[in-house]
Amino acid sequence: MRMLAVFEKGERIRHIGHLDIQRSVQRGLRRSGLPVAYSNGFNPHILVTFASALSTGACGKREIMDVTMAEDVSEAVFLEKMNKAMPPEMQLSEARAVDRKHSSLPPLLRAARYDLTIREEQYAGKLIEAIPKMMARETIPAMRKTKTALKECDIKPLIYDLKGEGNHLYATLVLTEREACKPGMLTEALCREAGITDEVRVLICREALLGENEQGMLVPLEIL
Amino acid sequence: MNLNDKIERALEKVQKAPRYTGGEMNTTVKDWDSCPLRFGFCFPDTYEVGMSHLGLKILYGLINRESWSLCERFFMPWTDMMALMEEEELPLLSMESRHPLNAFDVIGFTLQYEMSYSNILAMMKMGGVPLEARERGERDPIVVAGGPCAFNPEPLADFIDAFMIGDGEDVMTELNRVILERKEKGLSREECLKNLAKLEGVYVPSLYRVTYHENGTVAAVEPTCPEAPASIRKRVVTDLNSTYYPEEFPVPYTEVIFDRIMLEIMRGCTRGCRFCQAGILYRPVRERSLEKLVDLAEKLQASTGYEEISLSSLSSGDYSCLPELIRELMKRMKEKRVSISLPSLRIDSVLKESLEETQQVRKTSLTFAPEAGTQRMRDVINKGVTEEDLLEKVRDAFEGGWSSVKLYFMSGLPTETTEDLDGIADLARKVVAEYFNVPKAQRARGLRVTVSTSVFVPKPFTPFQWAAQDTIETVLAKQEHLKQVLNIKGVTFHWHEPYVSFLEACFARGDRRMGAVLKKAYEKGCILDGWNETFRFDRWMEAFRECGLDPAFYANRERTKDELLPWDHIDSGVTKAFLWREKEKSERTETTKDCRKGCNGCGLQRWKGVCAYANAGGV
Repeated sequence: MRMLAVFEKGERIRHIGHLDIQRSVQRGLRRSGLPVAYSNGFNPHILVTFASALSTGACGKREIMDVTMAEDVSEAVFLEKMNKAMPPEMQLSEARAVDRKHSSLPPLLRAARYDLTIREEQYAGKLIEAIPKMMARETIPAMRKTKTALKECDIKPLIYDLKGEGNHLYATLVLTEREACKPGMLTEALCREAGITDEVRVLICREALLGENEQGMLVPLEIL
Repeated sequence: MNLNDKIERALEKVQKAPRYTGGEMNTTVKDWDSCPLRFGFCFPDTYEVGMSHLGLKILYGLINRESWSLCERFFMPWTDMMALMEEEELPLLSMESRHPLNAFDVIGFTLQYEMSYSNILAMMKMGGVPLEARERGERDPIVVAGGPCAFNPEPLADFIDAFMIGDGEDVMTELNRVILERKEKGLSREECLKNLAKLEGVYVPSLYRVTYHENGTVAAVEPTCPEAPASIRKRVVTDLNSTYYPEEFPVPYTEVIFDRIMLEIMRGCTRGCRFCQAGILYRPVRERSLEKLVDLAEKLQASTGYEEISLSSLSSGDYSCLPELIRELMKRMKEKRVSISLPSLRIDSVLKESLEETQQVRKTSLTFAPEAGTQRMRDVINKGVTEEDLLEKVRDAFEGGWSSVKLYFMSGLPTETTEDLDGIADLARKVVAEYFNVPKAQRARGLRVTVSTSVFVPKPFTPFQWAAQDTIETVLAKQEHLKQVLNIKGVTFHWHEPYVSFLEACFARGDRRMGAVLKKAYEKGCILDGWNETFRFDRWMEAFRECGLDPAFYANRERTKDELLPWDHIDSGVTKAFLWREKEKSERTETTKDCRKGCNGCGLQRWKGVCAYANAGGV
């Protein structure tokens, strides 16, 4: 059996990179004493994968780990033992037991919902005002960072939804194995639209990872 | 702008932010306002170094365990963070509750390495604590320090209010109680310091007057009040089984240098290597019982989730039931996929059997420390290891499937000649030959022999405490020679820069006047001296010049038998007479037997019931 578990990456540890988060989850699983499955080989590791890597600097409300169990355990026991074993900044909120044959999560991933806090509050109003103007454009050019260079791309088709309130932007953006609109690409485009040239610091919080149900609606990935 | 905003701004710009963010598993955040005594544990080096240190884990757990005290951690920020902190006007903050250093009742520095001294000043400065003890007022924290370098406290005497000498477990709580009493009764700083001086193993330097001869050597170190003892006797924890050891360690999110469970199987060493300061300071040898260790290992594994346990001590091969311990740990840890490693493997330990067992979980490179290249030189330093011993162990390792071997040597040992240096290359060549003697089908591929030589630094409380260190010129010439003779296929040669070792030698055997040099160098921007990229030797030399002191006086001068050494008022348990005897024996190339084979009369026999191998009659 596999356990899909929803966990938080808290604000205090948002600068921890994905590899370190992976190792922390591995160690948490070891501390929990849960019957997890190990890989074979010289350096055995626990069979745990993640729906999506979260960038260094971003926090996450509903990140998802996918743990292969050596023996069946109940969701309640899994949650209880893991929450004792994980630090306060990485607590779990939900778990769902699925069959070993359940699809792995990354291919099901379609989008992510973000809460972006604008640190320089004086710019929040201007940015929010610029949303309809930007969304009315036929294309929204943005710069995408690849390993070697910056490439121009159009993020218009990658934005499901974008709203603003107070000093927050709420965005649902495409996130699949093949393409993604990173929150930074969106805020840069929006700053350009609003004519802001100063650096605007944004706290990125990924609120949910989303997949598509049979009706083609975006729903939380972990319930698919 | 509030504090958290400033911190966030700095963290967004800094490299390796997780060094500064805390929140790790098994860290303790107690309620600040309701806790009577607040201890700031300061590790004067980076997070990655400090979080690898066992002493931090012991004292952190020990102080937090008491209901009336809390312990929070401080580390030395890297230069980029220091610049950002200055920009944001941020003080040095604790990892746990983000309180500034000067908000604590007592701050304690651990002294592991002389080259971290400038970081102590930097941390106090950033934390709003006056640098010199005499400048501190009633509201400032009491600044304490302990660890191996506290055995020669004099170079830091200007900056530290009280030193703890010897094992810290018992004295730490006693010291905190005295400081709590001050707080509760509203005693003055001076009264508090005098009360601290009354504790066994505590040295309050401001209560002593140091005078010097015209030639610069120390004339006298005299107490100036009745509370201060003329001689400060180190603390010894006699029974490790009943002594506090943490059952959980903080587990960093990021990788640190020693990212594993450290199981201290014993303290002290009976070998008597003459260059080794730890071998004297941590006397007598004391073992934890097998049962206690197995119990601790299981608890620590369950609380940390670490994948590896390392058995730590000065000489793990000497642990009396090592094969049984390893077998028992392997048995219990196998299912949990935990590997067992032995870091300070001595080459004369009977370990073949255990080695094969370790291998069943994971294979790592093996480290041997012959220390010197010829038998004569090894006899001078009383390193009781022969070439046959070493080659036999290496052969076993190669036959057992290892292909990577590290060999550690020192250069610059007293009486060293070119022949001794050539001996290092000979030994390396023989190690390579052992590898090729193993049939090709049987040995692992990819031979890697790494030879590292460090520059010998004479340390206080060793038989070489009177010895001159090689000058930088001599060291460079010797390294050049080594580079040539060690140009061997399959062998990589690493050497240490002599400049850091030279400065280390100045502080290791420095007197109180070194405090002025330290302060001057710090003012010139010297910090993080243990790191190549930040070490500024030229500024240190300027500081010496401006203070009118000659570094060669400390590093390169041979002392006479009757010279009063700056640390002679500290009693390590081992007498100066024993050390001098050992020095004379080394000059005659005479070895001294392991204490387990009979008492050598080092001085610990004076303290009843402390050393298991002591012969009360002495030798």
